[in-house]
Amino acid sequence: MTVQAPSDANLDHIRSTRFRKEREPGWKRLDELVTRAEKSGVQGMGYDDTLALASLYRQAMNSLSVARAISMDRALLTYLEALCARAYLVVYAPQESIRGVLGRLMTHGIPQAVRRSGLPLLIGFLAMLLGGLTGYVLFFQDPSWFFTFVPPELSDGRTPEASADYLRRTLFDTSARNNEAFGVFASFLFSHNTQIAILIFALGIFVTLPSFVLTYYNGLILGAFVAMYMDVGLGYELFGWLSIHGVTELAAISIACSGGAQLGLAVLLPGNRTRRAALRDKGRDAVKLMILAGLMLIVAAFVEGFLRQMVQSTELRLVIGWGLGLGWLSWLCLSGREGARP
Amino acid sequence: MTTTVRKIDGYRRLENYTPPEGVPITFVVSSLGSRFGAQTLDILITFGGAFIAILLLAWADVMAGSALMALFFLLIFFIRIPYYILSELVWNGRTLGKRIIKIRVISADGTRLTPYQITARNLMKEVEVFTPITMLFGAESFPWPIMTAMLIWVFVVIFVPLFNKRRQRLGDMIAGTIVVDQPRAALLPDLTDATRAATARFVFDPSHLGIYGRYELQALESILRNPPKTPEARARVAEVAKTIMRKIDFPERVGRRDEWDFLQEFYRQQREYLESRHLFGDSRADKFHARKDDTSQGR
Repeated sequence: MTVQAPSDANLDHIRSTRFRKEREPGWKRLDELVTRAEKSGVQGMGYDDTLALASLYRQAMNSLSVARAISMDRALLTYLEALCARAYLVVYAPQESIRGVLGRLMTHGIPQAVRRSGLPLLIGFLAMLLGGLTGYVLFFQDPSWFFTFVPPELSDGRTPEASADYLRRTLFDTSARNNEAFGVFASFLFSHNTQIAILIFALGIFVTLPSFVLTYYNGLILGAFVAMYMDVGLGYELFGWLSIHGVTELAAISIACSGGAQLGLAVLLPGNRTRRAALRDKGRDAVKLMILAGLMLIVAAFVEGFLRQMVQSTELRLVIGWGLGLGWLSWLCLSGREGARP
Repeated sequence: MTTTVRKIDGYRRLENYTPPEGVPITFVVSSLGSRFGAQTLDILITFGGAFIAILLLAWADVMAGSALMALFFLLIFFIRIPYYILSELVWNGRTLGKRIIKIRVISADGTRLTPYQITARNLMKEVEVFTPITMLFGAESFPWPIMTAMLIWVFVVIFVPLFNKRRQRLGDMIAGTIVVDQPRAALLPDLTDATRAATARFVFDPSHLGIYGRYELQALESILRNPPKTPEARARVAEVAKTIMRKIDFPERVGRRDEWDFLQEFYRQQREYLESRHLFGDSRADKFHARKDDTSQGR
């Protein structure tokens, strides 16, 4: 678009009309480019068009600024405002590729976020631990607590009344299940556990309490189960059965709770900022913790669905479970040390 | 400068929204109705789509029953949170439902939307949308303390966007995003094109043009953009023309057939006059400009 000197024919018009006549072709072209980009994205556009889009956008912004100063034509102002807003949304679209985002999250984002969130992590793991301890102690005081904590659909016959033999069989399930059934089980576990983890995370915004309670409750169930198996002398076997997936899964739930605690702490103790600003700031780390929990749950579901069924030796189960735990720990502690906060 | 929200004609307009170019642009904050509509559409599309896909696969009998089950669980997971994150990332703040309703997510601070913001606002969707819906379906099976807690929760979640000016839900607050209407406007012709200074039949002098201000000019613009078609509309236009002539004390008599031309010519000259006054630092917002000048001089 070029701005020509007003010709004789144009001198007839008032100033704001001349202004419009000189720039209208540029706006029309921008309108056309933006409409195309809105429909099918900037990716499909050629080099020249993309270049024109950016420079026409700046010219339109300039026109808007001038028009606000010199024109009283409301239709023109409305049009220019809408055009500039549309062009802005096209020009300032997210540019990141999904692969690049994921790569940066893995190498820097998540490990750094974890290392920054000491207190929330403490809260998350403490909730799980306290719940476990309470469940454990209460069970030994009175086994009927078990029925209070554990819903019947979860216990699935594994109650204090069951025989030691039956309980042993639940740990070493040798019934012939084929790979397809494992797949169903794994995908169900993943879908179900992730929903619970997201719930624990997101509820944290109500000043952490719901996250803490839900995680504590998870711990209660766990503690009661452990106590029940210990009671019949299957403690070691249960430890192996739990470890293979539990190290990852329970840590994931605790981390989701930590993410919730991040949000809750921002609402509860915003410091010198407004609550909204604190939430926006802490939310970054909180979301990364949640993504980490999701990742760990994928792995845990895979292990629980396939490996736990295939590996029947307690020692091997212990090695796999705690080896995985060590892997997570070293990734989170060692990765992304060199770069600053992205 | 932070963005502010002003209510004009029932629309909530976002003001002082400044892109990196430094020229503020305006957006209209979406109504809760359109957001509810977009969310409902999204749920219908995703769950309906998943349901139909599973039915088709089961009917075509291409997959074993257990593989179908696994796919079903993964689909149910995918259409709850990842669908929203991916679609808003790929379509720049629009899901399918939002595209149909023509609303979109923007970053509240004038910068581009980041993947973090999209993830954060959609993770909170679990608490704000899905869990309450799921629980409402299974509500009767809960004891009363949980029921009460749930009701409080649902009320909090519903009232948060009702009670803030930008209509942000909890997820929007964490992410720093606002949902706005997709801007659109067509370029209408310039009204002064119809008349030319050289052929002007009516001539107004500064005493005629000094009465009105910008507000009246733009009111006249909206009248002129809708030429009258019925006798009643023509009568209203005649009324307007008569009122203007009386107010500005126009000396000539204008015939019934020339009233439309008179208004167009008056609009052109009035706009030229006001715009040049504006350039000289004498902005006239409305017809009370003279009175305001008096009071400011009196002080």
